[in-house]
Amino acid sequence: MSTSITRVVSTLLSGQNATPCAITSVRCNHWFASVLSLKSSPPLRAEPKKKKKVDPRREIMARERLKKKLKKLERVPPEFIPIEDFITPAKCFDEMRVRSEPRLAFEESERRALLLKEWSRYKHAQHQAEMAAINGAVEAQRQALEELRLESKELYQAALAPDMGLLPFTHQGPSYTPPIQNYEAPEGKYNNITKVYTQ
Amino acid sequence: MAAPCLGMVVRSMWQFRNINRTSTTLLKGIRHFSSSGECSCAVKLKYETHKPASQWKLYGAVCLQRLPVVSQDPNPIEQKFVDIMQQMELERSRLSDHELRLLEDAERMSRKQEEDYDSDDEDLVNQEIVTAQDDEDAWEQKLKRFQPTGRANGAAGEDPSSLDRCLSDSLVLLVQQEVGKEKVWLLPQLQWTTGETLRQTAERALASLPGTDLKARFLGNSPCGVYKFKFPKGVQTESCVGAKVFFFKALLSSGTNPTSEKGAFVWVKKSELKGYLKPDYLRQADRFILGL
Repeated sequence: MSTSITRVVSTLLSGQNATPCAITSVRCNHWFASVLSLKSSPPLRAEPKKKKKVDPRREIMARERLKKKLKKLERVPPEFIPIEDFITPAKCFDEMRVRSEPRLAFEESERRALLLKEWSRYKHAQHQAEMAAINGAVEAQRQALEELRLESKELYQAALAPDMGLLPFTHQGPSYTPPIQNYEAPEGKYNNITKVYTQ
Repeated sequence: MAAPCLGMVVRSMWQFRNINRTSTTLLKGIRHFSSSGECSCAVKLKYETHKPASQWKLYGAVCLQRLPVVSQDPNPIEQKFVDIMQQMELERSRLSDHELRLLEDAERMSRKQEEDYDSDDEDLVNQEIVTAQDDEDAWEQKLKRFQPTGRANGAAGEDPSSLDRCLSDSLVLLVQQEVGKEKVWLLPQLQWTTGETLRQTAERALASLPGTDLKARFLGNSPCGVYKFKFPKGVQTESCVGAKVFFFKALLSSGTNPTSEKGAFVWVKKSELKGYLKPDYLRQADRFILGL
């Protein structure tokens, strides 16, 4: 580009010694509005425009924003594990299953109401008795510790020390029938079909 | 549950006082350590030189309980309540699959009995050969084949020293020991010796019973009750006025009865304690032996 410019400028300045093809090329071409306005040649103007340095950054930022939006959409909170006991199975709402309600005689309903009241009185008395027994036991222990304190300091401190081997405490409660001596339980195979949910 | 917490609170309070008080005063026969007292004792077993001679002998005793193996029979009122509740719940419930099957089978049988019965009308694909009633009978037969042990509940006249009596109540071990000059029924006890805690005394008392291998689980380090008694005037000396027996609770985990002496020990329910223990002793023991 610089060579053609210098060539044209030199023809203009010298006037005579310019090559005929260069002059003809300058004057015959209709692209040039004026000879002085030589800024670009056709091959130059067909080139795509040069990008400024800000553009790559803008593109990168646009891509990041899109990625962030995608991540937000993907960040779904985990589904709650359904509690099987709280969902009534659809079978229970079947109308076929409704029992025919028996009409209660007046005496029967009276008997039931009176029994419920008697039961509440019985349970109340039982609770009071239990509470009294427990309080009595606690009081007995407190008095025992008092006496021990009056006796000797060391024994008292030893008594107050927590028993590490006590907890965790497990005990097999009473069953309906006592255990059979030397009982061999039959081997039972079973297929476990409980549903296991993972979050 | 309340007692260990109380113990922890009391212990932390004592430690707080020990940090604050720096002077140590001799304990000159003062045995009442009131809360505003000015003594602070180091919590060490070596600090024994300034202790006054105690006027009471110390004993450690073990209250060994065998917890119930079998559930209790319901009271009359409990039985009535159970029946009524079952009745009410049955009335409010829905029919189960098995009951629906029973109803269908009954309906089918009644249809078959009718004169204008046409077996082509039946939905033969869904019919089963084994009816619900047959299933029920089969299940009952299977149940009868299993024989559980009976719930024997302490009939009168049983051997009081057997561990298998009164399976639905908790039993306490009583032994006959010589106190003074007479044989007395009481919870197994031994005199405390220096250098051990009272709980160790109680464990020793349990282990020293002749011919036993009873494995027990002690419930905590603190005693559950105390019995204080003064010796009769003739036996009292300057140094000891009487004795204090500290009881420790333990649960029987395993073990067999002693086989050597038959009459020396007994497993009793709470209601039977009256027949064995002296009145004062019984009054104290009744408080921590819960009949619940």
